[in-house]
Amino acid sequence: MTEGLGVLCVTFVVLLLLGVPVAFVIGLSTLLGALALGRDGAMESMASDVANGLDSFPLLAIPFFILAGELMAAGGLARRLIDLATAIVGKARGGLALVNILTCMLFGAVSGSATAAISSIGTSLIPEMEREGYPRGFSVALTTTAATTGLLIPPSNVMIVYALVASNVSVGALFLAGILPGILIGMALMGVALLKSWHQGCSTLTSGLVRRGSPALWPSFLRALPSLVMLILVLVVILGGIMTPTESSVLAVVWALLLVMVFYRAIHWQQLYGILVSSARTTGIVLLLVGLSAAMSRLLTIEQVPQAAAQALLSVSHNTIVVLLLINVALLLVGIFMDMTPAVLVFTPIFLPAAIGIGVDPVHFGVVMVANLCIGLCTPPVGTCLFLGCSVGNIAIAKVVPATIPFFAAMVLALLLITYIPALSLWLPQLLEAMPR
Amino acid sequence: MTTSLLIRGLSTLCAMILTVLIVVVLWGVLSRQILGGQPAWTEELARVLLVWLALLGGVLAYADERHLGVDVLVDRLHPDARRIVSIASHLCVLAFSLAVFAYGGTALFHLRWDSGQTLPATGVRKAWFYLVLPIVGVLLSHLALCRALAGFRSWDESGRGR
Repeated sequence: MTEGLGVLCVTFVVLLLLGVPVAFVIGLSTLLGALALGRDGAMESMASDVANGLDSFPLLAIPFFILAGELMAAGGLARRLIDLATAIVGKARGGLALVNILTCMLFGAVSGSATAAISSIGTSLIPEMEREGYPRGFSVALTTTAATTGLLIPPSNVMIVYALVASNVSVGALFLAGILPGILIGMALMGVALLKSWHQGCSTLTSGLVRRGSPALWPSFLRALPSLVMLILVLVVILGGIMTPTESSVLAVVWALLLVMVFYRAIHWQQLYGILVSSARTTGIVLLLVGLSAAMSRLLTIEQVPQAAAQALLSVSHNTIVVLLLINVALLLVGIFMDMTPAVLVFTPIFLPAAIGIGVDPVHFGVVMVANLCIGLCTPPVGTCLFLGCSVGNIAIAKVVPATIPFFAAMVLALLLITYIPALSLWLPQLLEAMPR
Repeated sequence: MTTSLLIRGLSTLCAMILTVLIVVVLWGVLSRQILGGQPAWTEELARVLLVWLALLGGVLAYADERHLGVDVLVDRLHPDARRIVSIASHLCVLAFSLAVFAYGGTALFHLRWDSGQTLPATGVRKAWFYLVLPIVGVLLSHLALCRALAGFRSWDESGRGR
């Protein structure tokens, strides 16, 4: 048995480092592991695991939230959110940095995509910050880290993926549980940005955005409101028990279509086709990972790897603080080399049993995992967000990394608070009765 | 030439599946909210379409080289070594799609076809649900083979140029 698992691990690491797409790394290492374990009909059973792993109604929410997000992004969401954020925090000292963070949080939440937030917000705000005297590395570091908060603030596809692998976890409860931690990380980043910009004397009272005619609070709020209503609508229909998360996601699509095609008239029928294709492609990226990971976690479960991992972790300590710290350190290391979705898919089944064993709520654990892996999205060598931020800001990665360090410190601090204060995650879902107390 | 045609066809198919999915799920929600009862076929059809969309979308992402991967190490290699690694990576995808999707998927399709199992609400044979696996197997291995061959060819040319 150990040889088979050894084959799996070695293939996994080698193929990953050779640049094979992660989905196929997961698939091939599972296949070779199963063959080494001498399982009969390994290929047929893997094919069936992939198809059955994807055959799930909750997963349907993923293509719909992706489509709704792409529609909103194509419909000029960035501009409206920047105006709103400028009206709220733009006049403060270091205001432009705050505008950037707040916009990234809102955009990430509505679009459900950190990368979309970086490319849309970064493209307009990084040059703006440069004009106000912020160092470019700082602006890129700030945009990249702030964009990840949208993965915690609902609706969030990675939360749906977690709910699927964790089984018996309500998507509605997870959505609510992510709100306060997402805001907490955003505020921690704002704290760093304020300290930095005060220290360096950047951006005085009159940032360019404000000078060019400060957007008034109410009009800009009203213009951005329809886009923000989507978030509220989704949460209300799920929590009210009116719709399942999947049905709420199709409602989000209808709302986004109405907004961008009828209300704002921002996109044409011809553009719609491109948006549909690109959403299907993004869906394929996420769901191929989900399907192939389903095959892997079935093999690992048959071989009782999760139990072994839980035992190994609990043999070190039964102390909640120590075990959670170990898991967090392990996940931070994983996050350095793996993207968020594959990391959640591969490591949830391995770590969750141990976490439940020491009495951690699965909803809380999901928030901890996502908050933790957000940090990994901004670290080299595998930092999708960092790389995108650098290419949007047109700056070398080496120049951005030093600037990210204070932001990482803030994120790690926030992660510790999220890990050790379960109420930060669980208070809201319990208050709204999305989960038992 | 044929490959670009293939990708265009695949894009259209994916866009169509996604559109039909929206209509089907919306139909289910509306009929439950308004007529008070949800036809069972909506969820069943939606799930079948999701699996098709996920896997065909996965092929589309591979065609456009959008899948997530680790390229830090590869980027630091010597150009020749990088070419070999890239060819090897495409051959890995080829081997996997032949083994699991093409071979495993075809075997599974036959197995389900012979069992004659049907989906409860629509009464359609369950085998049709699995048909996407061999299709994806053929598409993926075709694309991976083209990529690997293109890699060999460019390697050949650069070798002759020196």
